[in-house]
Amino acid sequence: MYIYLPIAEQPIHSLAILGVGSLIGFIMGLVGVGGGFLLTPIMMFLGIPSPVAVASVANQLVAPSISGVLSHWKKGNVDFKMGTVLLIGGVLGSSIGVILFNYLAKVGQLDLVIRASYVIFLSIIGSLMFVESMRLVLRKRKGKITRGKLHQHTWLHGLPFKTRFRKSKLYISILLPILIGLIVGVLAAIMGIGGGFIIVPAMIYLLGMPTSLVVGTSLFQIIFVAANTTILQASQNQTVDIVLATLLLLGSVVGVQIGSKFTNVLKGEHLRLILSTIIILVSLQILTDLITMPSDLFSVVIRK
Amino acid sequence: MKNAFQIILLLFVYTYSSNSSAENNLVADLSQDNVKISTNFLGAKILLFGAYDGIQGDDIIVVVSGPKGLVTVQKKEKVLGVWVNTKKINYINAPKYLHIASNRDINEILNYKTRKISEIGLNNLNVRMQPGENISTKEEETWRKALTRNMLKSKLWSLDENSVKLNKNALFRTYVALPSNVPTGIFNVKILHYRNNKLISKERSTINVSKSGMSAEIYNIAQNYSTLYGIFAVLLAVLIGWITNIIFRKI
Repeated sequence: MYIYLPIAEQPIHSLAILGVGSLIGFIMGLVGVGGGFLLTPIMMFLGIPSPVAVASVANQLVAPSISGVLSHWKKGNVDFKMGTVLLIGGVLGSSIGVILFNYLAKVGQLDLVIRASYVIFLSIIGSLMFVESMRLVLRKRKGKITRGKLHQHTWLHGLPFKTRFRKSKLYISILLPILIGLIVGVLAAIMGIGGGFIIVPAMIYLLGMPTSLVVGTSLFQIIFVAANTTILQASQNQTVDIVLATLLLLGSVVGVQIGSKFTNVLKGEHLRLILSTIIILVSLQILTDLITMPSDLFSVVIRK
Repeated sequence: MKNAFQIILLLFVYTYSSNSSAENNLVADLSQDNVKISTNFLGAKILLFGAYDGIQGDDIIVVVSGPKGLVTVQKKEKVLGVWVNTKKINYINAPKYLHIASNRDINEILNYKTRKISEIGLNNLNVRMQPGENISTKEEETWRKALTRNMLKSKLWSLDENSVKLNKNALFRTYVALPSNVPTGIFNVKILHYRNNKLISKERSTINVSKSGMSAEIYNIAQNYSTLYGIFAVLLAVLIGWITNIIFRKI
């Protein structure tokens, strides 16, 4: 059944969108990250204009994140103090991101920046994740499980305004999570992602948070970053398509729940290995699009 | 049933036109002059039909043009290995929809001069660049062709030179297709009756394309109460996320 999207101003097959939503939700539930960075390119591939895709995906991300946080909260896997500090940076960052988004759209370079950001961040995160999970898989196969220090101390931990995060068993500068939140917030607004796939590794490797708390806490802050991005995109650019977002989120909330039931079936490192492979492939695909000569060098933008 | 209705209409139009005076010897009607874009809109196909007072060899050209406005053409160039939009030209009065139909090749119906003067044909439209655009005449042609090519590709512009069916030098009919990405506004329909490169008679009509129903409501709210709309979108997502969590907790 086709449905006309009021903001994207085109019809789309509603079952296709529900299907894509549930598939992405399934991956989110399974791995804990990776909704937006797959969803936004798929939407653009389906012909949704990129500003509408980015803004509507931000809107849909709110729902699976809420649903996920509630589940993690019950298990005690959310560090609310750390989450709040992260989201202060995140809300600030996403506000800057929307302003930047506006500017880029005006000068006609939005598509390029979105695509280039995808290539850069997906390839970096994908490769890091691939190497890490591969190492774990191989190590476990050899049967050697070594436990190192809880986390490495670097200059980052020497910054002022040190605060104790009891839940995460950390005593670090408050500036570090704010800065991480800020950077992820900017990227979230521009790329139409929650930023989970950036913030999760950052929390593990830069902050040194326990892995059990990472997913729940990142979901907690994503709610606010995604909500802020949605409201700003709606008020500044009128690009949030509520029909598209609702169809996507109806699929994704169900997918998340099913996906999370399967987490015990598959091992974490295997999941990350699969996901990192997908991430690398997606980034290579976008890179190929950027460097191959387009069939028509000219394109047309119809202004409102 | 629908066909029978159309035939009756055609007969009615035909009788009406034969009785009418010489100045008004072209009449036309549309099967639909009010197109509503609602939630199930997939595009529209409108029958345009009518009668004219013609002789063997006469031609009918139909031009449907939508609202005019700013259309930007961008050009990509390779910068550091990546294809980037580097140049752009703004056209200030490009029709956002254009459909030209005729009973045979327009080049056979009209000579070059008439085509230019009457602005008939995709490349004969008087589309102006924004004042201050500084390009050579030769380059201008390349950009103008790029505009036409891309608008044709998006199906918002179309040229169909054999789609007007003539019958007994008196009746004509054609279909006007509005794609699903059609802009809203008033569309001007011009029906031109030519004989040996000379305009014999013409008729004008309009099609009003507007959003309606839920899709119009949503669009208007998103435009006029944008912040509230954003907050509502977030609250809806929160609600759905929360409800599914409750449902699945019980399963």
